[in-house]
Amino acid sequence: MLKHPANWLGLSLALPLPTLLVLAYLLPLAGVLAWSVSTPAGIGFGHYRQIATDPLILSILWRTLRICTVVTLVSVVIAYFLAYHLRFGSLLKKRILLIGVLIPFWLSALIRAFAWLMILRGNGLANTFLQSVGAISEPLALARNELGVMIGMVHFLVPYAVLPILSSLQHIDDRLLQASRSLGASFWRSFKDILLPLSSSGLLAATVIVFVFSLGFFVTPSVLGGGRVVMVAEYIYLQMFQLSNWGLGAALSAILMLIVVALMLLLIRIVGIRRLMDTAS
Amino acid sequence: MTNRISTTKKGNEMTVMKPDRNLPAMTRRQFGLSAIAAAAAGAFMPRSVFAADQLVVANWGGDAVTAFEQAFAEPWGKLNSGKLVVDGGGPSEGAIKTQVDSGAVRWDVCDGEMYSSYRLGKEDLVEKLDFNVIDKNLVGFGDVHDFGIANYVYSYVIAFDAAKFGGDPPKSWADFWDVKKYPGKRALYKWMSANLEIALLADGVKPEELYPLDLDRALAKIAELKPHILTHWETGAESQQLLRDGEIVMGQVWNTRAELVKKQTSGQIDYTFDQAVVSPSVWFVPKGNPAGRDAAMRFIRMTQEPEVQAKLMEVYGMGPVNPAANALLSPELQKISPTAPENIERSVSMQNQWYAENYGQALDKYTALISG
Repeated sequence: MLKHPANWLGLSLALPLPTLLVLAYLLPLAGVLAWSVSTPAGIGFGHYRQIATDPLILSILWRTLRICTVVTLVSVVIAYFLAYHLRFGSLLKKRILLIGVLIPFWLSALIRAFAWLMILRGNGLANTFLQSVGAISEPLALARNELGVMIGMVHFLVPYAVLPILSSLQHIDDRLLQASRSLGASFWRSFKDILLPLSSSGLLAATVIVFVFSLGFFVTPSVLGGGRVVMVAEYIYLQMFQLSNWGLGAALSAILMLIVVALMLLLIRIVGIRRLMDTAS
Repeated sequence: MTNRISTTKKGNEMTVMKPDRNLPAMTRRQFGLSAIAAAAAGAFMPRSVFAADQLVVANWGGDAVTAFEQAFAEPWGKLNSGKLVVDGGGPSEGAIKTQVDSGAVRWDVCDGEMYSSYRLGKEDLVEKLDFNVIDKNLVGFGDVHDFGIANYVYSYVIAFDAAKFGGDPPKSWADFWDVKKYPGKRALYKWMSANLEIALLADGVKPEELYPLDLDRALAKIAELKPHILTHWETGAESQQLLRDGEIVMGQVWNTRAELVKKQTSGQIDYTFDQAVVSPSVWFVPKGNPAGRDAAMRFIRMTQEPEVQAKLMEVYGMGPVNPAANALLSPELQKISPTAPENIERSVSMQNQWYAENYGQALDKYTALISG
């Protein structure tokens, strides 16, 4: 086949993308993986062994997974609610919601984190308001702790969950819902038997996207977490740049990547790559 | 720690400090990415690209860049034809390692962490200093060793709400820990530097017996204060905001920031040099620096001049390490210079040698404590 000159031309035209991928992505990735197995004593899995046994690292990993799980669940539920109204609400409602979802989407993570800090801190808007209406007497600890980190993360991630869910909701034929209502099904029955199953791929895609995204959060925990090293991304930073311990930082990155790859494979397996691309677009 | 900010400028900027500890998160991330990109690109970038007839001094960005230009460009111009360039890229250990290992060294002289200079020296990533050019004897405060020399100092001081505690202000770290006498939230610096020292001082260790630090004792003392610590501030601007907005009643902050917030609040927030922990910053020279080792040594020697030291204090509040510089300062600046005689005699000096030897292991324990 490659004897024909036109085929050679076609092949060479396709080359830039794989070349770019290899140079800009696979090569550095291989470098990171190589760091993760290089120890002062040569090649070895010492960094991975340390991760598996060091109580501090395990507790940070565990906390990261816990925060990400809670954040993902809350984000997806809120996003489903928003997507539902974006799909079925009045035009005005849709517009307002879309603006509400998209504007924060375009703001930088840093600005949003600081904005939340202003709202949630001891003498911030939320506490001042609650105190002025007499709901509380002492300020609540809303920021500079795990709760603050979670609030900031949920706000950041909801738009990412809204889009795939909305896309799958938009694929649902209105007539199915009309039929179920006309047959006397309650709202919940229609929701359970029609909406939920038919939007499940979008829901699953949203869950995985949000979870994967949340694992690497750096800015929000750093600003809203009260200066404690809350999540694993910041710990990786600490190893890389405070201690120039590239090996351990790289090994932690590799583990994060492994989790992400496993989740993506699982998602593709369940939903199928075509439907995934479909919902995401 | 180039935390300091010019005493003349209102300090809300977020990029004044060293990224390893003080930069805001976003900038740190960008910084990290750029360092990694530099590592990736290093293989393709010939060194000659950077080696023009210029000298590049690296610090931690923000106002410190302007301050270095104001203090150093003119005297350097008198000695050399080449240009002085100040790069706020942040000479963390990771960044130095990246540049030296990849052969793409961009910086000639770096304003770094003192303990880093010891560690980098041990790893053979920085040049040995030439004490035929540099004058050891001009350094009155801070470390001088083969691979690093103190360039200026700053202090960790107790800042407090004078409206609450003005009648009987806190005078020691023991007072800082005394939540019965001085009730209210506190804030500490995010990283352990000086935190270990103040904890031991609060626990009754005599200043002259601090080193080697008793890590476990220090951590236990910090654990004791934990319920009263609102946050571990990361940037100098954040420490100011916490005090100014009354989120905390007392904070361990850099003297430069304490001075700024005192001015902004017309004295409602005050601070003391009692038991201030004096911490030196350092010059070091990355191995194979583009302008050559000799130029770097001559630059360092120049910065030791009393006039240059005084200028740095004037524009940015960095405490002189050359004692002769304090005499050149105005009376107002002498009052707030960490190394002026009446301030330094009440202070405690930090010894970075200990951190150089114990940093990794100690930081792990410290991180476990504050993030737990």
